[in-house]
Amino acid sequence: MPRNGKLVRISLVLSAVGALTALAVVTAGAASAKSTANDVNGAGSTFVQPLVTKWQGPVQQQLGINLNYNGVGSTGGVAAITNKQVDFGASDAPLSQFNPTCSSCVQIPWALAATGVVYNLPSFANLKMSGSVLAQIYMGKITKWNAKAIKKLNKGKNLPDKSITVVHRSDGSGTTFNFTDYLSSVSHSWKSQVGTGTSVDWPAGEGEPKSAGVAGAVRTTPGAIGYVDVYYAVHNHLGMFKMKNRSGRFVRPLAKGIIAAAQLDTHPAKDGSLSIVNPPKSRKYWNAYPICTYTYVDVQKSSGAKAGDLKKLISWAITKGQKFGPALIFEPIPKPVVTFDKKQIKKIHS
Amino acid sequence: MTSLDATSTAARRPFTGRRVRLGDLLLQGVAGIAALGALVLVVLIAWKIIQGARLSISTFGISFVWHVAWDPVHGDFGAGSFLFGTIVTSFGALLIATPIAIGIALFLSELAPRGIRGPVTALVETLAAIPSVVIGLWGLLVLAPLLRDHVDPALHSAVGFVPLFGEASYGSNVFTAIVVLTIMILPIIASISRELFLSVPGELKEGALGLGTTRWEMVRGVVFPYARGGVAAAMILGLGRALGEAIAVAMVIGSFTGISRNLFAPGNTLAAWIAQNYAGLSTPLATSSLMYMALILLVFSIIVNLFAQFIVRRAARRQGLSR
Repeated sequence: MPRNGKLVRISLVLSAVGALTALAVVTAGAASAKSTANDVNGAGSTFVQPLVTKWQGPVQQQLGINLNYNGVGSTGGVAAITNKQVDFGASDAPLSQFNPTCSSCVQIPWALAATGVVYNLPSFANLKMSGSVLAQIYMGKITKWNAKAIKKLNKGKNLPDKSITVVHRSDGSGTTFNFTDYLSSVSHSWKSQVGTGTSVDWPAGEGEPKSAGVAGAVRTTPGAIGYVDVYYAVHNHLGMFKMKNRSGRFVRPLAKGIIAAAQLDTHPAKDGSLSIVNPPKSRKYWNAYPICTYTYVDVQKSSGAKAGDLKKLISWAITKGQKFGPALIFEPIPKPVVTFDKKQIKKIHS
Repeated sequence: MTSLDATSTAARRPFTGRRVRLGDLLLQGVAGIAALGALVLVVLIAWKIIQGARLSISTFGISFVWHVAWDPVHGDFGAGSFLFGTIVTSFGALLIATPIAIGIALFLSELAPRGIRGPVTALVETLAAIPSVVIGLWGLLVLAPLLRDHVDPALHSAVGFVPLFGEASYGSNVFTAIVVLTIMILPIIASISRELFLSVPGELKEGALGLGTTRWEMVRGVVFPYARGGVAAAMILGLGRALGEAIAVAMVIGSFTGISRNLFAPGNTLAAWIAQNYAGLSTPLATSSLMYMALILLVFSIIVNLFAQFIVRRAARRQGLSR
């Protein structure tokens, strides 16, 4: 029994020490949080996360704002701004896609990029892919790399008799919205059986959390196919398909393809949304990459004490901030969109 | 009680009586509040979950439990495939873990030389102390590729005629989740079983050996019957852990909604799906359906826990009678 008593005493002392340490850390944390009143906290899209992360340094230097960003996925970001848990939400899907949505928010398109369709087949670079074949792969109808339909697109390449591992997002995602929006536009059976959404009932494949999860799974799984923001594809050295556009050309998801696609819609609807998926056959969209998207920042119109900093931050992001984009394969948003955005920013007040 | 005692107590009362009563009162108050707090917390959690699930319950009714769907676009939800995945992974893990755990327990209680019993016991218990997210990370980075490249194809080519061992191309799959869960529940079953085997009275074992049985016959005839109820309870405790494990499973199971006979295909469990989607869903019905799944998981876990308690009580009563 005495041994038992000692043990109890030791564990009591240990937990007391633990509690005190925790208290000290929390107090210190609270103190440091107080000292920086210029925090602007955001959450959402992992698609736009590389760009927002890049902005953090210059925003600190030029505007004196501490920009904190938590990549929880677009759905998580819209939920967070709707419940006012953050100062801004970021989503690649327009607010109209969410229910409940943030009806007291203003939606501002603030970046432009493409969703790359990535694959892991190391000895085959620059493979070609079409929307209808991609839809069949994601529906589980084409399961081998040497399937006729894929071979037909890639003549002369000796594709292996290997299973295709289909990877998609497991969380609510704006990238998924962009991707399924595209598949719905090229495949009737996709549109009727699966549809467009931030999360859908996937007919096949494995789900992974966030962009980094999808990129990681494709990188480590030979024979895998996935879809992520192009930056993640480049960063992880993944193969990217040249996608067939409606003009019949195979286009890489790089600057030229994104800029051409963006011309499809440069005048946002009343709610600020734009759609540039799968531009029609035309000389104008000759070079357009078919799976591009604007991505949005969502802010409460009455943002209280943060309103001033938010307006500064977003005004900076849509102008000076854009020049940090191309290194991460985000292209500058077109002029008419910037003009529209400036009007939207004026709606933010304290 | 003598009169002397009575007078001395009475004499002391003015000095200490009030303080003692106050202390008693305080103790009772604090302990009572703590106990009440636990109860209130359970009720509040259950109530909140039921409230959150109400929309989904009124939309889909009880058939939600076995309906296989998760389609936010068309607003069709059901827990069927997740419930299926939960049952397959946790019972699969139990099936693999139990014999190994009993082997470990027998080794540590009956067979191992005294010198190595201590260290090995400590190691087995350390396994139980590894945070599940660490096991999940290891499962994702090390175990999944290993199984995908070597174990799964080997099993497929050896016993592929059984539909359970189908085509293997996904690293994150139901089988990987089963192996991860096996590792997590193994130490629970092993350490409880070891204690149970050690609690078998020495005279019974010696008596059996004295009658000329082999060690295996002694284990089978004396140790197993004696510890049977307790081992069953240990298994159910392990099952409880496997049912509720979210993060490690979410990391390796590959998140696919649907029912597949192939163990090497991605799947999902209730807990893993909740962990993957807590950050937000795009419609109220989807969010409510997630709560409904939490409710199913809660009820399932409570039933398993009650069952374990029932078995332990019955075993304890039997042992009490036999002694």
